[in-house]
Amino acid sequence: MTAISDAGVSARLARPRRDWQPAVTAAVLLAVSFLVLLPLVFLVEESLNTGDALAFPPAEYGISNYIEMFQEDLDILTNTASIAVMATVMAILIGFTLAWILTRTNVPGRDTLERLLELPYYMTPLVGALAWAVLAAPKSGFFNQLWHYVGGAGDIVDVYSMFGIAWIMALFEGTVAFVMISASMKSMDPALEESARVMGASKLRTALTVTLPLVMPGVLGATLFVFAEMLGSFAAALVIGIPARIYVITTSIWDSTLSYPPDYGRAAAMGLALFVVMFGMLTFYRWMVNRGSFATITGKAFRPRAMDMGRLAWLLLGVCCLYIFLAVVLPIGALILTSLQRFATVILGQAEFTLGNYRMALGLGPVRTALSNSLMLGFGVATVGVLIMALIVWIIYRSHLKGRGAIEYLVMFPQAVPRMVFGLALLWAWLNIPIPIYGTLWLLALGYFTVMLPLGVRTLAGVVLQIDKSLEECARVCGASWGYQLRTVTLPLLRPGLLAAWLLIFMACVRELGASVFLMGPSAKVIAPSIVSAFASSGTELTAAMALIQTASVVVALVILFRLTRGMTKEMT
Amino acid sequence: MTRIELEDLVIRYGDTTAVNGVSFTVGRGEHLTLLGPSGCGKTTTLRAIAGLEQPTSGSIRIDGQPMFDAAARKNVPAEQRGVSMVFQSYAVWPHMSVFDNVAYGLKVRKQSRADVAANVDRALGLVQMKHLADRAASKLSGGQQQRVALARAIAFSPTVVLFDEPLSNLDAKLRAEMRVELRDLQRRLDITSVYVTHDQEEALAISDRVIVMNVGSVEQIGTPEEIYNRPLSRFVADFVGSANILTGRLTGTDTFEAEGGAQLRINGATAARDGVGEVAVRTAYIDLVARPGDNQLLGTVRQRMFHGDFVQYIVECACGRLIVRRPPTNLLEEGAPVTLSFSPDHTVLLRGQGA
Repeated sequence: MTAISDAGVSARLARPRRDWQPAVTAAVLLAVSFLVLLPLVFLVEESLNTGDALAFPPAEYGISNYIEMFQEDLDILTNTASIAVMATVMAILIGFTLAWILTRTNVPGRDTLERLLELPYYMTPLVGALAWAVLAAPKSGFFNQLWHYVGGAGDIVDVYSMFGIAWIMALFEGTVAFVMISASMKSMDPALEESARVMGASKLRTALTVTLPLVMPGVLGATLFVFAEMLGSFAAALVIGIPARIYVITTSIWDSTLSYPPDYGRAAAMGLALFVVMFGMLTFYRWMVNRGSFATITGKAFRPRAMDMGRLAWLLLGVCCLYIFLAVVLPIGALILTSLQRFATVILGQAEFTLGNYRMALGLGPVRTALSNSLMLGFGVATVGVLIMALIVWIIYRSHLKGRGAIEYLVMFPQAVPRMVFGLALLWAWLNIPIPIYGTLWLLALGYFTVMLPLGVRTLAGVVLQIDKSLEECARVCGASWGYQLRTVTLPLLRPGLLAAWLLIFMACVRELGASVFLMGPSAKVIAPSIVSAFASSGTELTAAMALIQTASVVVALVILFRLTRGMTKEMT
Repeated sequence: MTRIELEDLVIRYGDTTAVNGVSFTVGRGEHLTLLGPSGCGKTTTLRAIAGLEQPTSGSIRIDGQPMFDAAARKNVPAEQRGVSMVFQSYAVWPHMSVFDNVAYGLKVRKQSRADVAANVDRALGLVQMKHLADRAASKLSGGQQQRVALARAIAFSPTVVLFDEPLSNLDAKLRAEMRVELRDLQRRLDITSVYVTHDQEEALAISDRVIVMNVGSVEQIGTPEEIYNRPLSRFVADFVGSANILTGRLTGTDTFEAEGGAQLRINGATAARDGVGEVAVRTAYIDLVARPGDNQLLGTVRQRMFHGDFVQYIVECACGRLIVRRPPTNLLEEGAPVTLSFSPDHTVLLRGQGA
């Protein structure tokens, strides 16, 4: 916060001289573009490199990398598209059903359910993919074990398939569909439906002519958004797709950087193609939302009158519970069961229970280093990041600097770039920028900070915008100096927000996979990619233990978050 | 004696001019109100006095000391101006108790613990909030927050208190109550106040003097009675109270021919000019019976609306439709012929556009 106070003090003292303003704006713009835009420039340049892929700057330019993508890797593109379509359809179906049940029916235990439905998001797709690999692998998967145990022949489920990948993506990355669709259902003024009823329309007619058309744009928006997410999804495709030899665009990008010599040109071309498609879709989505023709989106939250479902309400409760069972209880249960055994089996009579996997995970030098690196990075990036992001938020939303709109746009930009494409861009940029931090934790820290910018800034902005400016002004008029005002008014009011941002960034860093796989070096490993490589090289039992340890550290952070913020918000309301 | 002095204050943001050359003085112990529609620059002017906005040019002096002076490049920060302010949003700090909110300015001034307690007690007593001193500020109703904000603003015995639409977030009944209390408080404490509101009724009720502002400039300065009875411009006549505007032509120093040919005698306070002009007649000053010696118009009642405290008639005359508000007695029927009479003293010639 000292950064903020310095800027604030100088803002006030130096007001009559205006010349410092462009300097501050320029400095921030320059720093942010250096972090956000420069890597992408490097990536564009590399994608046009048709000579030696490792040469920088490229000796020859051309578009052959792009042409090859459509000639040789067409199957990858079709894989990507079909998996994304399947995953999107499933995610929207799940999201729509759950959103409808929770916002429009009198399902019992609505508030508890709503909180439970957030859990799959905190599970992360990586953990979900590992768990479903344990549950539904051919032969050794728990479902198939049970099937064989009761005398079945062959396998009843196989997660190592396109559908399997899509299923995991829908379960663990599709939660945003639920959030978006229920937001559009909640923001609908119940009077719109009530007036249709008053005009004499039946329940069904009201649903078809009023409710559905009003909710439809929200559903379409969510579909577009989720589809873009699924195109750039990495974790499930990595854990399940690579053993199954089903490559999508994200895993092909990763694969090209692993080959010898690394084909950065191909990777860059694919990454940029993915970025352009996603960026286009997100821009279209934003345009659709901003067009403002959605009368339902008034920003005001309503609690629409719930339909009385009678006994059917219990069935709907069952549907919600089934989802939570499939996305949370079953995966976590399977991982716990696996991690506690020497050889994973669901037939408890044959099980040999042991704590050896945990002992091994925590005892193995590399794993321990990776975990402590991740925690350290999370701690460092969250602490330093929150301070810098608070300064940026202050500039964007509280100063009168020219060019703050550009800063906001730049800061939010990483959101539109698939995480792993950004990782690739950072890798290529920092291989060639003559500052020797490649292969060190510093590069990871810088990369994490850059990709966390949108998350942190959005969280902090939410809090800053809620704080009425006059709360600060009043302190000044009461005679408080800037420092005193900061200490007694601004900071106490910001505390819950700073804390929330800190914990969100901490969690995101500890779980980071997409950028980490490119940025970590042999002597700077972090936990999420280590879990992936453990899954590929050693048994599922050890991997399960590692995944649970990682999840546990996130859960601990979450519990602290809820404890602290609840205490705070109680104080405030 | 002059407490606050504004001279040719201009406040610009980029290309827009929020305040365009405003000058006025506020005397010691005076209660001055800046009145105008939203966007007229009244709040910006107030915030400039507090030191929360940086003017572009002009000067602000408090007790003769320059607080802002563009020519001398002087700008005293808000916390050193010694003025106090009540904000539109109350700005009651939600993370403090009522006591801590009110004590803030006292603690900033490093008063002893006993003095702080005594002064908070006094301030809370003045707004009848003593019993809630220990309550968390976030647990207060809107009206209570308003009182806390008021107590906080007067606790450190400032000589100048600025009010930025302090009552606009209260419901009508509470607003009327608080108006009475505020006027009472102003008189009891020897403070100078500048009050901003868009509510003309409020402005007239609680001020010693009113400044009507429009698009960044002062339209008229005067006592509430002057503003109401002698509006200088069509804007003031329209914005403060309700008035009928009659267009026509000046025929002498104090005679006016309204459209339709009616001859009116007018108040000659404003320099008479030849040509097209407008006169204003307050809706409350028109009688529905013929009063000899006064201006008279013949018309027909077109509509009658019962408002409770008054009855509003729309009367069709040769010069156009006039609105008349009378006490709710001796009701006239719609369609009835009527003679309107109003005193020449209440027939006020308005300043022409751009004059």
